[in-house]
Amino acid sequence: MKHLNEAELIEHYYDESASPADCERHLKACAACAKHYADLRRDLDGVKPLVPPVRGEDYGQQVWQSIRSSLPVYEKPKRSWIQLWRPLGWAAACALLIAVAFVAGRHWERKQTPSVAVGADPQARQRVVVVVLGDHLDRSERLLVELNHAGSDDMSAMPLRGEARELLANNRLVRQSAIQAGDLNVEASLDRLERLLVELANQPDELSEADLNRLRQEMNTDSLLFDIRILRSRVHTRALEPEDAPKATKGVSL
Amino acid sequence: MEESDDSIRRAILSGEKDAYKVLVARYSQVVFRVAYRITGNEPDAEEAVQEAFLRGYQKLAHFEGRSSMATWFYRIGANCALDIVSRRRPETQSRIAEENDPERGELQLADIKAGPDRLLLSREIEAARQAAMSELTPTERTAFVLRHMEDRSTEEIAVTLKIAPNSAKQAVFRAVQKLRRQLAPLWINT
Repeated sequence: MKHLNEAELIEHYYDESASPADCERHLKACAACAKHYADLRRDLDGVKPLVPPVRGEDYGQQVWQSIRSSLPVYEKPKRSWIQLWRPLGWAAACALLIAVAFVAGRHWERKQTPSVAVGADPQARQRVVVVVLGDHLDRSERLLVELNHAGSDDMSAMPLRGEARELLANNRLVRQSAIQAGDLNVEASLDRLERLLVELANQPDELSEADLNRLRQEMNTDSLLFDIRILRSRVHTRALEPEDAPKATKGVSL
Repeated sequence: MEESDDSIRRAILSGEKDAYKVLVARYSQVVFRVAYRITGNEPDAEEAVQEAFLRGYQKLAHFEGRSSMATWFYRIGANCALDIVSRRRPETQSRIAEENDPERGELQLADIKAGPDRLLLSREIEAARQAAMSELTPTERTAFVLRHMEDRSTEEIAVTLKIAPNSAKQAVFRAVQKLRRQLAPLWINT
């Protein structure tokens, strides 16, 4: 038989035993433990609770008066500026997040999409120049054909003049590229074209048959048209060549 | 209709300081009772009560409502009393003297050779119990008072004293053992 130790007896006395029924059974069966428990009860029952001196009904008032002056006043909770600005802060944070996501998305998209920038790759740059030049020469050829076939009934110079002004800006850029590439043949043809375009761009609204003839003779538009056609055919040929084919050693080498 | 503790608390935190006197009036008696039992004397109990309500006012904003406000003040009161006992313990240990004088902390020990008629005098037995109580550590004393006199469970004692339940249980056991050891000569001669 396992006897109850003092800790278990104390627990039992204070009704905190894990198994009070077992304790009771053991105490009834075991005289030694019953004696110990009786002694414990005698000792603890003898310790009577201290009876506090009676305090009057106004005791709370007395305590209040004794502490009142020491108590600070709680300030009403105010809505601070931080609290007022908090919603705006959240909105700003969201806007910033969206902006960052947008920029990051653009950056990512740019990285994913093969770049058409020509600066980094010389071959790609040359391809672009060839395409632009070809387009420019096509339009210039059409303009020259129209000019050469313009009759006395086509007295308005406005369509030719408008086209000439547009081509003039392109021609300068293309010619500049030819100069940088050191292609003197192309540069010479484009120079002649530019002078014609300048003349056309500055013509009055109405052109007479005589004016057209003078312009054709002065600018030798037949010869210029021939040069442009040759140049255009070379450019087209160059544009159709595969990338790994040997490059032309003369003519358009842009 | 009696105003609820929570509405009073909210009023105080909104700047109505005087609303606190309702809580003081409501709980000062119960705080005094536990403080008196822990400290064992009136002046210290009074001091503990004042300290408890000062502390309670300062911590009112942190009251989370996990327990009732009565329990909250009760615990603060018990802790204030414990602090006072801890501060004054060296001074309040009883000295052996010719006469019992609790105010001066003097105690006349019972002569165990004397006859049982003298030992059974309640005044002397009570003095012996007081002496035994004064030998307990502040934590043991507080735990024993809460368990034995205030009928608080071990869990409640642990929460009040901010210790582990097992530590609270051990504190009560040690207190009981010490008291029994101190009081044993009385029973031998009865």
